[in-house]
Amino acid sequence: MKEREAKNRIKRRDFFQKSFHTIVGLTIGGLAGILSSKSSAEEMVWQLDPNICIQCEKCAVNCVLPHSAVKCVHSYSMCGYCDLCSGYLQPGAKSRDTGAESQLCPSGAIKRTYIEDPYFQYTIDEELCIGCGKCVKGCNSFGNGSLYLQARHDRCLNCNQCSIARRCPSQAWKRVPASQPYILRGDESGKYLNG
Amino acid sequence: MGEKLKRLKFFFVALVLLCPVFVLSQVQERFPKPDFESGYVRPDLLTPAPRAAVWEYMDIFVLVVALSLATYFAHKQRSRRNIFLLMVFSLVYFGFYRKGCVCSVGAVQNVSYALFNPAYIIPVSIILFFVFPIVFALFYGRTFCAAVCPLGAIQDAVILKPVHVPEWLASLLGVFPYVYLGLAVLFAATGAGFIICQYDPFIGFFRFGADFNMVILGLSVLLLGTIVARPYCRFLCPYGVILSWMSRLSRRHVRITPDECNKCRLCEESCPFGAIKKADDESQPIKKEGDVKRMAVIFVLLPVVVFGSGWVGSRLDISLSRLHPTVSLAEEVLLENSGKRTEMIDATKAFRASGKPSEELFSDANSIQNQFHKGGWILGAFIGLILCLKLISLFIRRRQLEYDVDKGICLSCGRCFAYCPYEQVRLGLMTPEELRELDRRDVKIKQFRA
Amino acid sequence: MEKQPKEYMGKNRTELGYNIAKRIAVVAAVLAGILSVLMIANYIQTKSVDPLNSQAISQLMTKLQENPEDTVLIEQIRALDLLARKAYFTHQWQIRTGSYLLFTFVLFLLLALKYMSSLEPRLPDLTKRTEQEKAWESRLLSRKYILYGGLGLVLLAFILGVLSQTELKKIGIVQPEKSQGTSDYPSIQEIRNNWPGFRGPEGIGRAYFADVPTEWDGLTGQNIRWKIPIPLPGYNSPIIWEKRIFLSGADRRTQVVYCIDADSGEIFWQTELNDVPGSPERRPQVTEDTGFAAPTMTTDGTRVFALFATGDIACLDFEGNRIWAKNLGVPENHYGHSSSLITHQDLLLVQYDQNTGGRLLALRTQSGDLVYDQPRDVEISWASPILVNTGNRAELILNSNPYVMSHDPRTGQELWRVRCMLGEIAPSPAYADGMVFVVNDYARLAGIKLGESAELVWEYIDDLSEVSSPLATKDYLIMSASYGTVTCFESKTGERLWIEEFDEGFYSSPILVGDFVYLMDMSGVMYVFKADKEYQLINRNELGEMAVSIPAFMPNRVYIRGTKNLYCIGK
Repeated sequence: MKEREAKNRIKRRDFFQKSFHTIVGLTIGGLAGILSSKSSAEEMVWQLDPNICIQCEKCAVNCVLPHSAVKCVHSYSMCGYCDLCSGYLQPGAKSRDTGAESQLCPSGAIKRTYIEDPYFQYTIDEELCIGCGKCVKGCNSFGNGSLYLQARHDRCLNCNQCSIARRCPSQAWKRVPASQPYILRGDESGKYLNG
Repeated sequence: MGEKLKRLKFFFVALVLLCPVFVLSQVQERFPKPDFESGYVRPDLLTPAPRAAVWEYMDIFVLVVALSLATYFAHKQRSRRNIFLLMVFSLVYFGFYRKGCVCSVGAVQNVSYALFNPAYIIPVSIILFFVFPIVFALFYGRTFCAAVCPLGAIQDAVILKPVHVPEWLASLLGVFPYVYLGLAVLFAATGAGFIICQYDPFIGFFRFGADFNMVILGLSVLLLGTIVARPYCRFLCPYGVILSWMSRLSRRHVRITPDECNKCRLCEESCPFGAIKKADDESQPIKKEGDVKRMAVIFVLLPVVVFGSGWVGSRLDISLSRLHPTVSLAEEVLLENSGKRTEMIDATKAFRASGKPSEELFSDANSIQNQFHKGGWILGAFIGLILCLKLISLFIRRRQLEYDVDKGICLSCGRCFAYCPYEQVRLGLMTPEELRELDRRDVKIKQFRA
Repeated sequence: MEKQPKEYMGKNRTELGYNIAKRIAVVAAVLAGILSVLMIANYIQTKSVDPLNSQAISQLMTKLQENPEDTVLIEQIRALDLLARKAYFTHQWQIRTGSYLLFTFVLFLLLALKYMSSLEPRLPDLTKRTEQEKAWESRLLSRKYILYGGLGLVLLAFILGVLSQTELKKIGIVQPEKSQGTSDYPSIQEIRNNWPGFRGPEGIGRAYFADVPTEWDGLTGQNIRWKIPIPLPGYNSPIIWEKRIFLSGADRRTQVVYCIDADSGEIFWQTELNDVPGSPERRPQVTEDTGFAAPTMTTDGTRVFALFATGDIACLDFEGNRIWAKNLGVPENHYGHSSSLITHQDLLLVQYDQNTGGRLLALRTQSGDLVYDQPRDVEISWASPILVNTGNRAELILNSNPYVMSHDPRTGQELWRVRCMLGEIAPSPAYADGMVFVVNDYARLAGIKLGESAELVWEYIDDLSEVSSPLATKDYLIMSASYGTVTCFESKTGERLWIEEFDEGFYSSPILVGDFVYLMDMSGVMYVFKADKEYQLINRNELGEMAVSIPAFMPNRVYIRGTKNLYCIGK
């Protein structure tokens, strides 16, 4: 008697298990189906929108990497090549040379070279750039806005939640498709469809 | 040109004074683009691409292979050593190489976010990272946890002298993963943030880069992990909640013994995670007096508890919603508008300069708070339900006839296999005759002291 | 036969293996420990002194500002800067290498320890039979603790929820707007029955009553009811509420607000405002033709507000008692601040455009608390705001270089902007019937149509005003210039209807009273003419004194502030 009871119990348990199994399996399948309808094969990566950025200097500090993945980039097509570059020189700089006392960049990442009169070329050494945005602020206030910050994808780890994005005061960070990983300015902005 | 420079100088001098000027990145062509006569060519802007898509597919491929191997090692080969080696591989690949991101645990958030925010396009790889371990768990148990999850692997790597966590404590602490899961889903669904990623203790080690607080958190959890086996997995992991449900329903789960258990008790202490259900002593009761009545009371009170905790959860809408960036910005703006603070902060300055009317911000914040209100109801009810179910499960007790694993907790790591004398026979380390003659009371714990 | 399975779960290993592992563990632990200490020290060091933002360099840089030619200082800065940069990158390298080294040591430590522990299988102490009872008790305990724990959790959440809900209210969607005409601020009708600010109610240069005298003579005293001297000079215009006239005066030493009876000319009270908190030690530089009390006062029916070139802003009641006063920060203004004040419901609005950038401030009229400080993307301006009710919404419109901008007066949010101005802006905007007009010398006279956004529909570039603000009626736009021309346009199309030349120039602005325009030239002569498509002079009235302020109007009265005296015209 007890054996039959036990057997029945096992059968019942088995039945419950089987049915739960099926229900759960269907749910997971359904969920996966719903999600795939709003999914894409592409990965999303993080990028900073330079038109919303307010150059608060948090990008340099909040990246999970010790050397921030955000670097200043230079749109040469937009640059005025000015002698008195407001992104390179400190406000109130007395001399227009490469002396440290005149430079805005705290790590000396902007290199100034003479091209022809009166034009100078400014390039950014990404190894030295810390992504603080001081040069960007200067360039946008008094220059053409050709310097701006971007996350560099040879360094960026593409965290699921970007620590910089979380702390950006102007909410300038967004997820972009990996095939169009930069939000560019100037002539380069036509590089991706969603410039 | 001289005039322009003089004007510029004037501005530079003016900047030296305290400057409340707020500059939104206006792209203004203040200086014309030069025409170069010397033949200088502008350099190209380098745009290094992120990780190529083919590697994403590689990750998924490795995941499936690892899951299959883990299942095979646990079920068919029953080899602890192979599971261990696979675990090391997963630690290296998913942990240090892929820097622990995107992981299946975090994928819960992406899925929640995608379900409630049509603007977010979830990559297929994340869906697969979420679904595959669950499917494997549904059929074969939590083989993911033992050998594939990098977070589990790093905790497993530091287990040195695991203590036995008393059942009541483990039971109580086992409520927290449900709370964590609920909160993570709520925050992800409302777009407030990914808290699992934020408070992941191990990601700092995988990335070789973390801020001070993360390092301290990670070190504390790992240090704890030397004596309490896999603390995050057992008492925090939100994904583990889902896997434990699946595992409980699984039809083919690993067993301690490849044979019929003879209750020799040799495997009792073998599981550092407390997943072994001991066989009942016939002489001991399994029900207490008045148990049935108590259980009936719980059943009756269940809807009340669920409703009550749901209501409490809904009251948390304001405090929880403040973690959402829109709501916190709206609060800052309100603070300034009402005059309670006279200085603006970066966030409010940026907002005001953006030209968006504050009415819009306030209405967005309001709707987010409403979302938290509804979500809080669901979260509270969920927790209430879990608490009641846990209590009820402690009343329902089938007589345990043999030593077996708790399907919900067991991670299919295979540690317990070698303790079983039948396993020893299967592996050829003992002959069947030795087994018959095995007097377990003579088995002593070997002490090695130099 | 006692077959002791002496090595149950034994592996083929020796004590030697165990000892080697132990030694490795110790060495690795020591190395890891030392490295950890080093890294912590490194971390503390960089936390306290961030090499890239060093105090030392900033101090040297400020010194350099004062002595730009000091080469020794320059060398110092360069050397220090190089050191700082090196320190930063060395620190980065140290973190990186330190982490990798630490990882390796810990790895060895772990491997050794794991090996050691693997040699000790966890076998149960089979002598203890009480395991079973313990298990049973444990379950009972679990029940209890889950119950308590669960209750505790819910209680905690409840407390948190209740606390947060009482302290913070849910963010409301709509800010509750006070209905018109409640006790604390006047209704539109009350405002229009008085002359509460620069260029009248809402600042658009229009008086809402007829029966205003059109003829008088200051030289003979005809129709002049009274005239009193104002002790302190000030270019601000008189404002009137019911029977009280308010104006302010200031010089290098003192700032005063006067209250004068409209009928008798008696000075009710004069309140000195010389001890405003935050007021600068030294008065800022201002020019002769702007002075220290250029902004016109404003009133909301129960309080009067005055602003001076020092940035001192004060609120007095109608008896002359100070309710609140503060300093907004000395304005960076090379002529002297002159934008006048205006109120909107319970807010006092200040156009604070300076050399360092534009700002729109709103203070609570009751308390002076700052409600918002909206930065504006403009340069310095001397014009004053106008408040316009377009029907859908209230707009505060400000004229400056290079934009004329509209703001929501309650929040300061920018509503629209039109780029049409240049130079140093003094004329204030004009408004009538859905169109806004702005002008500045060397820029243009612009007619802007309001709608969802604003659109420039016409412009004119001759005979432009540089101080005097234009006047708009439903059909006409009248502009007076400082070299003596007055031009009238068709307001919707900008078609010029007539132009008249006068002997003296105009700093004051034309005011519409009924169908007549009152326009006063610099010598104090008031021209009264019809607002029509042809110039039709009604009267030319002498004052007998130079005047540049805006006249104030009351039923049957005109009040003019000359450079020395205040005149009351009427019966």
